[in-house]
Amino acid sequence: MVIHKGSTTKISFSASKVTYLLEKGEISPVEALDILRRQEEELIFRGEEKSKLLLEQSLEELDALVGLEPVKTLVRELQAFVQVQQLRRLEGLLTEPLVLHMVFMGNPGTGKTTVARILGKILCEMGVLRKGHLVEVERADLVGEYIGHTAQKTREQVKRAFGGILFIDEAYSLARGGERDFGKESIDCLVKAMEDHKDNLILILAGYEGEMRQFLRTNPGLHSRFPIHITFPNYNLEELLEIAELMLRQREYQLDIEASREVAKILKCNIGTVVENPGNARLVRNIIEQAIRRQAVRIVKEENTGRDQLMTITLADIQGGEK
Amino acid sequence: MKECLVIGKANVGKTLFVINFAEYLGLDHIEVKISFPNGFSTVKCYSIPQARKELTGLGAHKTRCLQSVHLEIPARKGRKKLKITDTTGLMDTIHQDVEIRRAIAQTLNVLRQTDTIIHMVDAHNLYMSEASALLGEIDYQVVQFAQMRGPYCILANKMDLPGAREGLQLLLRELPGQYVIPISALHKRGFKEVKAFVSRCC
Repeated sequence: MVIHKGSTTKISFSASKVTYLLEKGEISPVEALDILRRQEEELIFRGEEKSKLLLEQSLEELDALVGLEPVKTLVRELQAFVQVQQLRRLEGLLTEPLVLHMVFMGNPGTGKTTVARILGKILCEMGVLRKGHLVEVERADLVGEYIGHTAQKTREQVKRAFGGILFIDEAYSLARGGERDFGKESIDCLVKAMEDHKDNLILILAGYEGEMRQFLRTNPGLHSRFPIHITFPNYNLEELLEIAELMLRQREYQLDIEASREVAKILKCNIGTVVENPGNARLVRNIIEQAIRRQAVRIVKEENTGRDQLMTITLADIQGGEK
Repeated sequence: MKECLVIGKANVGKTLFVINFAEYLGLDHIEVKISFPNGFSTVKCYSIPQARKELTGLGAHKTRCLQSVHLEIPARKGRKKLKITDTTGLMDTIHQDVEIRRAIAQTLNVLRQTDTIIHMVDAHNLYMSEASALLGEIDYQVVQFAQMRGPYCILANKMDLPGAREGLQLLLRELPGQYVIPISALHKRGFKEVKAFVSRCC
């Protein structure tokens, strides 16, 4: 095959300029197409570079999450799988379609939605999903009030999620209400959609571990359709403190020693007493955000405030009273 | 709806392919949207024999604008819609007729935006030609350009003529790894493979 070394004409010409020169008879169709091809190459190269950068950023975002080792391992596996499939395609070997419907099990605040959102971005940059957006829905968004309404509502949500992830929170609630409930109709509709559009849609069912296991047991067809099951364990005290530190660092705040001890005390207390929801990141976020608001109220009253004061959260901010 | 562009040098059989492919898919009349290089467009309805008579010819550059036909391809329970566009024949050198130069520029413009590229070459001519290179320079450029884009295939046309088989072998050797479908646009041979290809792409 003849490889053209490229014409001397600059590729910085706009497409309309190339057309103009071609019409005027100043360049031949071969030269025109050569310029257009090199412009296209440049665009593809830039797009690939951008995509690579975004993927790296998303992976860093995932790595920054505390704990969640099974998810991180899964993403590395997927990344390797996609790369190998691409290499196989180039060699003309058989490639397997990727079925990535998942079940996320865990208590609220254990990172299910956050992980789903990051996964969407990562899979988009890997080329598995076209858009990578997350459509978060619950029972009320899927189940209708009269016959035929449910299928229509479910299909609408599925359509919104094409090219991304449909994330169904508290998915087990679709099966509650027995035989006459419309939730079953929604499940049937989802099953069809996930089979028909498996290359264009990822469905994630999320909810409490116990309820989700029961839900999948009562719907045997569902279990086999979700090849990936991930359990999000509760965070222990050390992890919760790490999350608190991370949240503060991201917001450019810091705890003084007393405040830090107080946060640890509150978290320890909650882990011991709240049985259903022993440890989660949302509790940490609430403590931090409340403290930030209290710190703001305290600081506006002071006259001379330096950088350190603006950044520091004190014991009073955590406890709610003034020192 | 996906757009499929039929591109290639002049006189390789692009227009006849589009008309006969439409007939192969079950149409007895075609609505052709004719888009001129100056921006004007019009729609004309032809019966298949009439289209063959009026739109094709033995000389080069009979087509001097974009001619699009909407097709429907049966797929599973439904039908896939496709717009197939016939283009002005490309050439290696600068043509002296400004009208043809404009039409070629129009073809290259639409090439940058199309979803699927069908590149047509004359298999008979490949064998008979005495040129030093097997394909014209413009064909190599099309191959390189189309490889970067989405779905792409080469139709080796005029397989009904003597020497075309040898021409096809030369082509396969020249462009290893490319998807080449041998066809005869005149006798509608190889259209099943073309249908499968466009069906996968749209």
